[in-house]
Amino acid sequence: MTPELDRRNFLKLVGVTAIVASCGGASTASPAPSTGGTAKATGRISIYSALNESTNNQLFAAFTQATGVQVDVLPLAAAGELQTRITAEKASPKADIFVGGSSEFHDPLGKQGLLEPYKSPKASALKAEFKEASGNWTGWYTGIFGMVTNSGEMTKAGLKAPTSWDDLLDAKWKGNLVLPDPVKTGGGYIFIATQIFRFNRDEAKAMDYMKKLHTNIRAYIGTSPAAIGEVSGAKAAGAPNWAHDILTEKAKNPAVDLSVPSDTGFEVGAVSIVKGTKNLAGAQAFVDWVLTPEAGALNVKLSNRGSTLEGVASAPGAPTLAQVKLVNYDRQWATDNKDRILKLWQQAVGIQ
Amino acid sequence: MRSLRREPALLLALLAVIVLVLLFVVYPQVQVGVAPGFSGYLSFLEGGTWRIPLQNSLKVTALSTTTAVLLGFVYAYAMVYSQMRWKAFFNLIGILPLLSPPFVVAASYLLLFGNRGIITYGVFGQSPNPYGITGIWGVQTIAFFPFAYQLIADVLSRSDARMEQAARNLGASPWRVFWTVTLPLSRPGLAAAILTTAIYVLEDFGNPQLLGGLVTVLPTQAYSLISGFGDYTSAAAVCTILLLLALGLYVAKIRLDGGRSFVTISGRASSMPRPPVPAALSWACFVGCLALAGLILLVYGTLLVSALTFAFPYNLRLTIEHFQYVATGSNGDALRNTLFFSAAAAAISAVFALFAGWLVQRGEWPGRRLLDFLLIMPAAIPGIFFGIGYLTAFNQPWLDWVDRSWLIVLALVFWNIPVGYQAAAAGLRQIDRSIEEAATSLGASKLRGFWDVVRPMLGGSLRVGFVTTFVRAVTTLSLVIFLFTPPTTVATIRIYQLVNDLDWGGAAAFTVADISLAIVALVVFAFLARGRLVLGAARA
Amino acid sequence: MPETAHVQVSHLTKRFGGVTAVDDVTFDVPKGAFATLLGPSGCGKTTTLRVIAGFYDPDAGDIRIGGRRVNDLPAHRRGTAMVFQDYALFPHMTVRDNVAYGLRVARVKANERDRRVNETLAFVGLQGMGERWPNQLSGGQQQRVAVARALVIEPQVLLLDEPLSNLDAKLREQLRVELRTMQRRLGMTFVYVTHDQEEALSLSDWIAVMNQGRVEQAGDPWEIYYHPRTAFLADFVGAVNLVPARVTELADGAVTVTFGPHRAAVRRPRETALSVGQDVRLCVRPESFTIAAAGAVPNGITLSGSVARRAFLGDTMRYWVKVDDREWIVDQPDPGAGAPLDGPVSLSLRPERVHVIPD
Repeated sequence: MTPELDRRNFLKLVGVTAIVASCGGASTASPAPSTGGTAKATGRISIYSALNESTNNQLFAAFTQATGVQVDVLPLAAAGELQTRITAEKASPKADIFVGGSSEFHDPLGKQGLLEPYKSPKASALKAEFKEASGNWTGWYTGIFGMVTNSGEMTKAGLKAPTSWDDLLDAKWKGNLVLPDPVKTGGGYIFIATQIFRFNRDEAKAMDYMKKLHTNIRAYIGTSPAAIGEVSGAKAAGAPNWAHDILTEKAKNPAVDLSVPSDTGFEVGAVSIVKGTKNLAGAQAFVDWVLTPEAGALNVKLSNRGSTLEGVASAPGAPTLAQVKLVNYDRQWATDNKDRILKLWQQAVGIQ
Repeated sequence: MRSLRREPALLLALLAVIVLVLLFVVYPQVQVGVAPGFSGYLSFLEGGTWRIPLQNSLKVTALSTTTAVLLGFVYAYAMVYSQMRWKAFFNLIGILPLLSPPFVVAASYLLLFGNRGIITYGVFGQSPNPYGITGIWGVQTIAFFPFAYQLIADVLSRSDARMEQAARNLGASPWRVFWTVTLPLSRPGLAAAILTTAIYVLEDFGNPQLLGGLVTVLPTQAYSLISGFGDYTSAAAVCTILLLLALGLYVAKIRLDGGRSFVTISGRASSMPRPPVPAALSWACFVGCLALAGLILLVYGTLLVSALTFAFPYNLRLTIEHFQYVATGSNGDALRNTLFFSAAAAAISAVFALFAGWLVQRGEWPGRRLLDFLLIMPAAIPGIFFGIGYLTAFNQPWLDWVDRSWLIVLALVFWNIPVGYQAAAAGLRQIDRSIEEAATSLGASKLRGFWDVVRPMLGGSLRVGFVTTFVRAVTTLSLVIFLFTPPTTVATIRIYQLVNDLDWGGAAAFTVADISLAIVALVVFAFLARGRLVLGAARA
Repeated sequence: MPETAHVQVSHLTKRFGGVTAVDDVTFDVPKGAFATLLGPSGCGKTTTLRVIAGFYDPDAGDIRIGGRRVNDLPAHRRGTAMVFQDYALFPHMTVRDNVAYGLRVARVKANERDRRVNETLAFVGLQGMGERWPNQLSGGQQQRVAVARALVIEPQVLLLDEPLSNLDAKLREQLRVELRTMQRRLGMTFVYVTHDQEEALSLSDWIAVMNQGRVEQAGDPWEIYYHPRTAFLADFVGAVNLVPARVTELADGAVTVTFGPHRAAVRRPRETALSVGQDVRLCVRPESFTIAAAGAVPNGITLSGSVARRAFLGDTMRYWVKVDDREWIVDQPDPGAGAPLDGPVSLSLRPERVHVIPD
């Protein structure tokens, strides 16, 4: 077998696969998304989870108990990696469910036709901003962007918890602030986008803010959890970060405090079904289940995140979307303008 | 070529190697390379977001390579030339950093030298900013000087003691001999060692990721495009830039390595001892090595203490809780997978690389230079893209019956091919062709001659290939992150998860367990092979 | 004699890059002969041997062994075994395993193999050394292992590439005799490569002298030594006096030449065309002269001169004798028979000892 022949065969196979896949895509895409609840779910499903480890174990155990569907979980606390993995695996999808991570990570997969649209009957009550119109993904939890502080360091520097993001421009913050790197982390970018929406999309004002903030920032940290670690370890007094992760750290380290400045941003944690699933009934059962109040409450308990369901109470000490003053966050705009905004920011703070 | 036609078995073997390389090196990378498409490249290049990371990559590579090579040179010189004591100890210490996932070293470095670092703040009361170019520079110097040391020690120990003796005999001082004889003779090898170190630094992802702060280098840019934004196509474009840079370094290295190497390579080991250096110099070497060894021990000591305390450095109560955690649930499976995958990959990779090395170095057929290049190329491919390439290429419905373990092992095999291949090439250069011809003239086919004569004589190269591949396989994260499945999770994935979950104690304990396992495995392999425990970086 | 030609090389050409190492070489080696390729380094002799062995592919020409064209046979199927200059012993095998290697490859049964290995080790004088490692042997012993290893597989042709050049003089001479004896006893065809003319002359049945990729002359040692076809050959194979002369007369079997004031009728070479008036060189080996103090009874061609220098070589005394304007090299055997000569001497030479080479 010459390499030439071999490659041709290979390409032929790939071609056949692509044709089969596209036919399948056409036949399932045209009719209205299934509304589920018809077939009895059994068997196993494979879940790609961007949730925290401790959440995974208990949440999925509860799901199995409730439905009898067994779960194989591939945990990777990085939604972008899971998104990339699902893209790379499209020839032969290995996941049935992609759960966790902001909807920004699910949405492009839907646009590429890699998700199986499903409008869960349980999602009908959700607000429009919590679900994708054609059913590609459904939001089931919320995360609010807040501020982590270390009480010891705050006292030392004579600082108070910020009530507005503008408070962070106070000169006392100089050298005491860290921020998740906007280029490297989703959280860091949501922070910049939040500023833009806060100034009514006046990008110049937002960049001016980021530029002033830059002089106070000691370091930009490569991951969002690591930035909490910096504060918890008293290496910095405070850092903008995810409220739920801050609460989790607070349980370990009482010196850690959470506050939520006004006009903040938030994420919608999504769940989606991967196209090509071999257990559609099981996958739909999972989506249905995470949208139950029981699952919502369990997730609140395990991760301190909020639920998109009206009736589910938030964790003790955790802010709810209703309590905090949210900025008018346009998720689509933020996703579409990412490259441009990051470049603007780099110019503004003088990295360029 | 005619000799191939006369030996169909040899031709078949060669074709098999070529097909395997095309299938497992070229094909997956083409999948990644074409992912952005022409317009994707164009818009990415126009966007210009790669310029800063490119400059940073070049800057950091230049800085870290310089210091790592300088320290590595001091260490190597002390080991090869001086009469200092404790050489065995220093050698062992020099190996340690090769055995651990680099991002753990970075985390340890932060604890020691961060703005609240045990050394910087606790001892000196200083609060330096550990993030940025300086931080990357510092930790890469610690992480990569052992590589430079291994490479340079290899080059220096091959220089001919007779010439140094001759120069001393002519009245030159040790210092003068070093500058006028040793250094010029080793120059091509040293340059190759520098470039190899530079490639390691250029490809480094873990350290800049943890210590970069605002500074983005190409590997972290590629990674953050994926993990932060799921932007696979732009990441692939960054990877292509990185690949081109690394290939440039490789071509330069090959140019220097081939041809005019003056380092005396003869089958007859020179039994002449090196001329003694003054006692004061030996002492200086000892002190220098002691300082470097202290630094390394500090980093790994921090790791060990972290694994054994509740929440280092805030709560220093001793506990075995972290190790208990490592022993629970599927964690043991992850350690076992690490061991099995790494051992399988190391064995296959070393043997395959040796065979391929022999075919390329000894063969006379058109296209051998191209195969030579392809066998070296994986060293220039960031692990994360090797992994994505494998997933894209081989995650196919008609391959679903294959156990995922094999894909991981294959990826480890071919990603590490350059290590064994270069060791084989270096080894073959020291074996006279006539020994193989002797086997042939006694009736053995070339393949038989390879198996009976070359393979046993290249035991050293085989060991270097095996051990280095094993070590790299045990410590790699980026390669497996896109390939692992729940039953095929490996230790580095678990460590990465724990670091992400801010469970530093668990991560430290897992790392300690991983390193210990690797060391025990290597000792067992060494015992089984009844050979010396040869640890070496990819020899130049 | 094509029916007994064992190794036939015809129109062999081998190039390396732009360099032609072997240029249209043709020769036959008779069966059972000790054949030697002799020449200075870089003349193409080793390349020729390696093409015969199958290590190099020729660019043109054919190799036949036992009448069969072997160009397309791989090296291990040619029935040739090679002894290398640096022995090329397998360092990871004992002497016994080295010698047994070829038999193992040929799947000879264990007891048969042991018998033949023991026989061969005894044959080369290495009884009891089987369990040693190559690096525990002296150079001479290593060479014997190399020979044993090649002989044991009973090749059709044994190829030897300067096998004695790494040994000291005494040992070289001893092994030379042994090699010759072995070859006689086995009746095997040997093709031997050397740059040492003395070795070639003492060992060979047949010699091909090569220079710059070509065979200058092939034939038996006697012919090569005394009747070289070119000045290069005469000079390369031993010490020689090469004296410019001119042909003045040609006759059957004789040629009259003048050199300096002298005139002599000497043997006419069979294979060289000569014409009257042609410039030639006279080739006279130093030992062909008889040297005596001046005034001795002349015998054949006589030259008078005086001793310029002399060197005592042990078995001979070498004189440089000035005759007219040039120095002649003259060897006197058994120098101890009388006192060394000095001052005027006379040299005498029988005409048939003078060989004429066209200039």
